[in-house]
Amino acid sequence: MRRVEQHKWDCKFFMFGNWNEWYLAQGYGGNATSFVQVRQQRQWQPPQRGWLKCNVDADFHNGETITSRGLCIRYDTGQLIYARGFSSLLLCNLVAKRLEKFRPTIFTQMSMLAIKHEAISLGQGCPNFDGPEFVKEAAIQAIRDGKNQYPRGYGVPDLNVAIAERFKKDTGLIVDPDNEVTVTTGCTEAIAATVLGLINPGDEVILFAPFYDSYNATLSMAGANIKSITLCPPDFAVPIEELKSNISKNTRAILINTPHNPTGKIFTREELNTIASLCIENDVLVFTDEVYDKLAFDMEHISIASLPGMFERTVTMNSLGKSFSLTGWKVGWAIAPPHLTWGLRLAHTFINFSTANPLQCGAVAALRAPDSYFVELKKDYIAKRAILVEGLKSVGFKVFPSNGTFFVLADHTPFGMENDVVFCKYLTKEIGVAAIPSSVFYFNPEEGKNLVRFAFCKDEETIKAAIERMKKKLKK
Amino acid sequence: MSTTAEITHHPLQVAKRLEKFKPTSFTQISMLTIKHGAINLCRGYPNFDGPEFVKEAAIRAIRDGNNQYARGFGVPDLNIAIAERFKKDTGLIVDPDKEITVTTGCKEAIAATVLGLINPGDEVILFSPLYDSYNVILSVAGANIKSITLHPPDFAVPIEELKSTISKNTRVILINTPHNPTGKMFTREEVNTIASLCIENDVLVFSDEVYDKLAFDMEHISIASLPGMFERTVTMNSLGKSFSLTGWKIGWVIAPAHLTWGVRQAHTFITFSVSNPLQCGAVAALRAPDSYFVELKRDYITKRAILVEGLKSVGFKVLPSNGTFFLLADHTPFGLENDVLFCEYLIKEIGVAAIPSSVFYLNPEEGKNLVRFTFCKDEETLKEAVERMKKLKK
Repeated sequence: MRRVEQHKWDCKFFMFGNWNEWYLAQGYGGNATSFVQVRQQRQWQPPQRGWLKCNVDADFHNGETITSRGLCIRYDTGQLIYARGFSSLLLCNLVAKRLEKFRPTIFTQMSMLAIKHEAISLGQGCPNFDGPEFVKEAAIQAIRDGKNQYPRGYGVPDLNVAIAERFKKDTGLIVDPDNEVTVTTGCTEAIAATVLGLINPGDEVILFAPFYDSYNATLSMAGANIKSITLCPPDFAVPIEELKSNISKNTRAILINTPHNPTGKIFTREELNTIASLCIENDVLVFTDEVYDKLAFDMEHISIASLPGMFERTVTMNSLGKSFSLTGWKVGWAIAPPHLTWGLRLAHTFINFSTANPLQCGAVAALRAPDSYFVELKKDYIAKRAILVEGLKSVGFKVFPSNGTFFVLADHTPFGMENDVVFCKYLTKEIGVAAIPSSVFYFNPEEGKNLVRFAFCKDEETIKAAIERMKKKLKK
Repeated sequence: MSTTAEITHHPLQVAKRLEKFKPTSFTQISMLTIKHGAINLCRGYPNFDGPEFVKEAAIRAIRDGNNQYARGFGVPDLNIAIAERFKKDTGLIVDPDKEITVTTGCKEAIAATVLGLINPGDEVILFSPLYDSYNVILSVAGANIKSITLHPPDFAVPIEELKSTISKNTRVILINTPHNPTGKMFTREEVNTIASLCIENDVLVFSDEVYDKLAFDMEHISIASLPGMFERTVTMNSLGKSFSLTGWKIGWVIAPAHLTWGVRQAHTFITFSVSNPLQCGAVAALRAPDSYFVELKRDYITKRAILVEGLKSVGFKVLPSNGTFFLLADHTPFGLENDVLFCEYLIKEIGVAAIPSSVFYLNPEEGKNLVRFTFCKDEETLKEAVERMKKLKK
């Protein structure tokens, strides 16, 4: 696709000859495969430092970075005076406006860096161990039994029933599997369907920062007016006064995530009660992402939908992946009263329609797992958390308490690097351990620059090996 | 504690962008079908299973532990297999990592393409009748839809009407070939004309080609393969129809990098990634030997013959279908007022389910004489349906 891009670079040169001499500015601009030469003649009075603007007209592709380099040559003698100038530009304006401001997520970039440097990845939130056999076998049986055609759009009937049974066990709430449970392609799609199905452009939505990055993007896609309230270390408690002053009858929804990614915070009963009463008072909906509900270690996980007056205004989202170490199956669900299920199902119908049939069948087995499975899961993760937390502390990090999820935030400033992105790149390249810079989880990246997120959803050997690498090479 | 006891009556809530849409009529017809024990010739999914070698590949992937997040735009090996298949089919060489994105079925391919590339007010040309999703998702994106009707008996593209509708203001033209619900295949001449109009007016093409392997009477042509077209075309496809695994929801989008960008941005926030083990199964499918596709076509041609002959013998006026597993039939010989009433009668009294084709038209009146039957069923089922329909009186 031909496109004209304007680049400018800075040319500096020493005093030579008189001011009538001509200097030729020459440059190269383009991408990795198609460089074109651009030229411009200028008459300058040396010594001078000037910006030279040139049009680079070539074949570019969206998503590519264009770079250009400039140099100045004295016209009559061909003498190189001084070469300087570099600019780069990322092209992406064929994307719809609703998504314009978003770049490939940090996860992609850090994953690629980790692979390139063979770093131990404690970054992305997926286990390096597999899910349980009984769940895998159930999906395999379903494939063999021919459950390979379109299932019912809002979920394989047996799965909706199993989800309702599990929800009753966990919260005491009785929900109608056919009218109040919708199966989605992972919790990501639950969020997309809920937001696209229920949020209008201009609707005010309150988010707590730091937040999982897809909330922001999906809400922006829907044209929401986002108000962010920051949770601050060390305990990331909800700032009640700030919440009270932000929530009003103009607020459409508040989005909460508990247990919370990336802090590991679990919203306390007191916090949830306060949020609940403010929502009832101001007639606000709650969208609650509870994918880590089975990884609640130090305190009870509470579903806000179970508080008095809350079920009728809450969409509770969850998924299979984190609880059953099958993040790649992408089976999620949204539980909501019929009048909210209506909107989210309509959106789901037109963005995905249905979720993989045989894997839903596998999920049925998972959701009917005995209590012992969940007890074992917690025990394992508590052990892994201990290895990571003790290890990070012994290396010199300041570690914040994490009560749930498989994430932990740590303050990297003892190691003297400028910010979290610089620290993570250094950690990956020089130390061989990958973590996620937490500034990506904030609206204002400054708020996260001291913190990095580690994941402990890895086998114990891997966590220990990562700690070893950090002990050896990371210096305060 | 029961939720129903607590809830007082609440009005249904839905965002404005979806307000005017209802759950698809497929759901209602499905429910009626089950209630009356009718033979289902309405929904577009087979009542037979996919091939063993594909199922086994997915099973192996689950056993081997391919159960964590797949790369967002597709398991690397699948992107490669898709590129290889596309080269085999069209001659085009595409970059698996920059020009292919795996999605949750073609449904999500369409949603990601539209949400990722269409701005409110963009003019989009559609051909009616059409798969009902297109209209909805384009409305959600705020597109300004212009519809051109394809008419029986051959549903040819009305070239003059297209020429007068398309202009430099047009952003996109959406085509579906082989075409649901008519079974039409866009001819080389039609595709060439569309291509030159798009180049002349700088228009993008979104091309849904999920039935490309069910092209019976003529060659399927991917518009992206015509000169000057790859750089402006988004080609969408999926596993489900070609491999009788509609419930796996594996689809893909092939587009030049500058269009892939927008598609991927939307995909990232709709589902982020697609089921890992089923993608691994899809790799085996896309590397199927030619004999698989020859067999598939032969089977479907036989099934089509059973249904077409059967419908004709019963008294329908059957319109020619050159591809997909759908055909349209004119029900007016049976004297019912419109297609919806005819389908209800057919389910309740005759015990066979078809889809009233008015659901596929932006103006339902245009479809009232036609109903859509599907022949993606085993031969016994098709024969039995024809038997039941012998009860129909003209």
